[in-house]
Amino acid sequence: MRRKNEFLFTKDSTRFYFPWICWLMLFIATFICGTGILIYNSLADWQRGVSESLTVQINTYDSEGRYREDQITADIEKALSILRTTPGVIGASVLTDEQMSDLMAPWVGADVTITSLPIPKLIDVAVDSKHPPFLEQLKRDLAAHVPEATMDSHRIWLTELIKLSQHILKLIFFILGLLALTIAFTVSYTTRATLKIHESVIKLVHMMGAKDFYITNHYAWHNFKYALTGGVLGTICAVPMLWIIILFFQDASASIFQMQFSVCQWILLASLPVLIALLAFITTFKTVLSYLRRFL
Amino acid sequence: MTSNEALSPVIAEFNGVSFRYKGNTDVLKDIHFSLAPGSFHFMTGESGAGKTSLLGLLYLDHLPTKGRMRLFGQTVDSLSRSAKAMIRRQIGVVFQDYRLLEHLTAFDNVALPLRLIGEKESEIRRHVSELLTWVGLEKQMRAYPQELSGGEQQRIAIARAVIHKPSLLLADEPTGNVDDAMAKRLLHLFLELNKLGTTVVVATHNIELVRTFKFPQLHLNHGKLELLPPNSSYAEVATRLLNKGNKDA
Repeated sequence: MRRKNEFLFTKDSTRFYFPWICWLMLFIATFICGTGILIYNSLADWQRGVSESLTVQINTYDSEGRYREDQITADIEKALSILRTTPGVIGASVLTDEQMSDLMAPWVGADVTITSLPIPKLIDVAVDSKHPPFLEQLKRDLAAHVPEATMDSHRIWLTELIKLSQHILKLIFFILGLLALTIAFTVSYTTRATLKIHESVIKLVHMMGAKDFYITNHYAWHNFKYALTGGVLGTICAVPMLWIIILFFQDASASIFQMQFSVCQWILLASLPVLIALLAFITTFKTVLSYLRRFL
Repeated sequence: MTSNEALSPVIAEFNGVSFRYKGNTDVLKDIHFSLAPGSFHFMTGESGAGKTSLLGLLYLDHLPTKGRMRLFGQTVDSLSRSAKAMIRRQIGVVFQDYRLLEHLTAFDNVALPLRLIGEKESEIRRHVSELLTWVGLEKQMRAYPQELSGGEQQRIAIARAVIHKPSLLLADEPTGNVDDAMAKRLLHLFLELNKLGTTVVVATHNIELVRTFKFPQLHLNHGKLELLPPNSSYAEVATRLLNKGNKDA
């Protein structure tokens, strides 16, 4: 004997394919959404970095290529003195040779002596992000007292990077929107195909007094169930892929990318199948209702 | 007088009702009649006279193209879809082509109207088993329609139409595929329901049944309806119509 609510459904191919379509869509959606979140996290981290720090470089070689051995320490002291008296600067410290070696290691290797390279001395400056220093004035002060000092607020290249990341995020949202649209179209199409297959059953139950809500509800819950099942499986399959990406970037890029999800972001990823199932429910409901009103 | 009569003056009321399918001429023309609660009518007429169309109007498969039609005291034109569904729940229909669902067993086919109104499964099991036993199909409960003979399918269709004790039972050639003994047995089932207050309309070509069960006839001839007294034969009807035609001329 069939279960109470199953009599509307005969066996048809849409019943087999629909969960698989949802599986694939959710796999892609979770993967793209996860990647988007990682980019967003990195973006937020970079923005924090931009607003909280800047770097001052003291050239160790003059314009003719001579090592400025005598002036370097004096220049560093003068620059530190200016920086520490500037409102909005929380602290300033010269990077040690060890710190410089760590910083340069990805490019020149760990076994190279940093002092043998023609690189400037770096002063890491921490700034108050709420009340930042007036950078133009600071630049002028440094230029007046320490001509060999240049200030790098990271803003130029980071602004470009942030712009690029924002475009990538927009693209990800656009792709997610397209996926949602594809799912809605797929649901609508498969529902229409199913309705055609079940036409005689629907006409009969309609004639027996089944209300529109009763029929639409049956189909909507049916598709919700399949979308949720396929979606959950798709999301579960996408998570290991995201882990691989996280591990890969953590190894390859040191601290450039923020390769972590917060609890809320995990919840957002986990809710994707539910959101898609809800989309399937609403689309099915509207499709069946429109069919009933049009043909019966 | 049955309890239904006390509640509702008429089950169905047709005033100047005409009906045509899209792009065709009228298949029903200026129909006037009413069905009192608890009444029993045969619907007779040649093939193509409009019997199935008239039954279709009665179970709201389509609406009149002209005239006024009331069912259970309500004018059907102004009804919402939900209200129409509630009216349909009070009607049982036996289709000429049975319209059984092939993916369901005999039991589940008969249980369908009860499941639609949300009846308890235990009650459904009891009622459906009883009724299938009554129509002699207790051994075929788990069989699918395609495994049953035409007569057995027809009995399933009848059982499905009466399982929810409808106020109005419409049957389109319900005895077309059964032998005379079974035809009479099925008519007795309709009579039992009728005694309980169900209004019955049976469209049939079976003159023997019309003669045996003396009920008035709704006779259709080329889309025109005439109410005939019980036991009128086709020959008598033809003569009447011919005489009427001559008088009109």
